[in-house]
Amino acid sequence: MADVRVHAAVEEGALSVDAALAHCAAPEHGAAAVFVGRVRNLNDGRAVTAVSYDVHPVLCARTFEAMAAEALARWGDDLRAWLVHRHGRLAVGEASVVVAVSSGHREAAFAALRYLVEEMKKRAPVWKQEHYVDGDSAWLPGHTLVADA
Amino acid sequence: MRDLDVRLFGALRPHGPNPTLTLRVDDDVTVAAVRAALAERLAGDDARALLAASAFATDERVLDDGEPLPDVRELSALPPVCGG
Repeated sequence: MADVRVHAAVEEGALSVDAALAHCAAPEHGAAAVFVGRVRNLNDGRAVTAVSYDVHPVLCARTFEAMAAEALARWGDDLRAWLVHRHGRLAVGEASVVVAVSSGHREAAFAALRYLVEEMKKRAPVWKQEHYVDGDSAWLPGHTLVADA
Repeated sequence: MRDLDVRLFGALRPHGPNPTLTLRVDDDVTVAAVRAALAERLAGDDARALLAASAFATDERVLDDGEPLPDVRELSALPPVCGG
């Protein structure tokens, strides 16, 4: 049965911060923190025009759910968490990922949000192909996945 | 023996003739043996180096090289990740 405290997904369309903050809200929650990752126009000195995101959608959503469960176990099982990643080609400035957390107080919201963002970088099955002004493109290096326990 | 589909992701995609390759493997094969069989199908040293740094997964979880191949029709080959 789905955990209503957690929303984890991969989407093709534009991401919504409003939807994230609507999910990450509760009468007893005095804090909500949100992270938005966007496509940057420069990487390693090369002018970037767009990034194509390849994603394993089923495994990505499961990984997000596992990470959120870890955050709830560590910072409080009343947390609400939102993790959504884009799939497809994004122009400079478009949001590639939105992560949000709400909690009773700001310490837990900040800490859990930071944890989810850092774990996402290491564990989510997502790959970036940058497209450059000169017409070239390149897949970016990353973190080798470790087997699940 | 059985057929096993392997989906290629990220930087591995351009190295295969198709996004999904079908391998013929023994029933009691390990994940490491699937890796070796896939290496035979990829062209070039760059592809094999990338495969060496890649993980294999079902839709449920990332697998260890030493474990037996689960009872699945399809695996995914996942190069190093860089989300966000």
